[in-house]
Amino acid sequence: MKRLLILLLLLAGCSTTVPVKRTFPEVPKELLTRCPELKEVPEGTEKLSELLSVVADNYGQYKECQISVELWNEWYQEQKKVFDSVK
Amino acid sequence: MWLLHLLPTSLILWIVNIAMIAGLAGILISYFIRFIPFINIYRTPIQIISIIVFCSGIYWYGGYSTEMIWRDEVAKLEEQVKESEAKSKKVNTVIKKVYLDRVKVVKQDVVVIQEKIREVSNTIDRDCKVSPEAVNLLNQAARRKPVVEVEPLKKDDKQ
Repeated sequence: MKRLLILLLLLAGCSTTVPVKRTFPEVPKELLTRCPELKEVPEGTEKLSELLSVVADNYGQYKECQISVELWNEWYQEQKKVFDSVK
Repeated sequence: MWLLHLLPTSLILWIVNIAMIAGLAGILISYFIRFIPFINIYRTPIQIISIIVFCSGIYWYGGYSTEMIWRDEVAKLEEQVKESEAKSKKVNTVIKKVYLDRVKVVKQDVVVIQEKIREVSNTIDRDCKVSPEAVNLLNQAARRKPVVEVEPLKKDDKQ
């Protein structure tokens, strides 16, 4: 009877692991676009208004890139929070 | 234990319980059987078989319990993953919307500024002439690229 009890204590079922598949979140396509090159002032330009126009366009491009980078950071932080919430 | 995956839960539990009960009953019977003449000669084989069956039942019950715990864990995790995927999609939708809205505002601002430049161009251009040196400098600044080049990732770095 003692042997039986010892044997019972020693017996244990084997465990099996089942992998749960997680997919990496897709980044919005809008954030995947590359920042364009800055526009250049055409050679021989003498008018300040034309120069200002190119500069204003470049500022606009910069702003768009700034938005893109800011949102990339935000996207990463938010997705990390969501990822870490699964334990 | 991988065999457990192939069987329905109720059938596994049923088999396990039957094995344990049958084994226990056999052990008890083998204890009392020694008082019954003629039949008591089968006591030892019945006892051995009953112990084996009972131990198998206990072993299977352990496996079954572990299996159920894992299935429960997996179900919980799958649920959490599903929720996180939904949240992730929502984040993407919000980020996309914010991006489009902000870019739209920037584009509108650029259009407004360009319009204003056109409106005051006569005034600006009347008193000022841009020298070619200024244009060259501005273009050089726009063309300037970082001089530091990063080597492509090596195989070891990727891991």
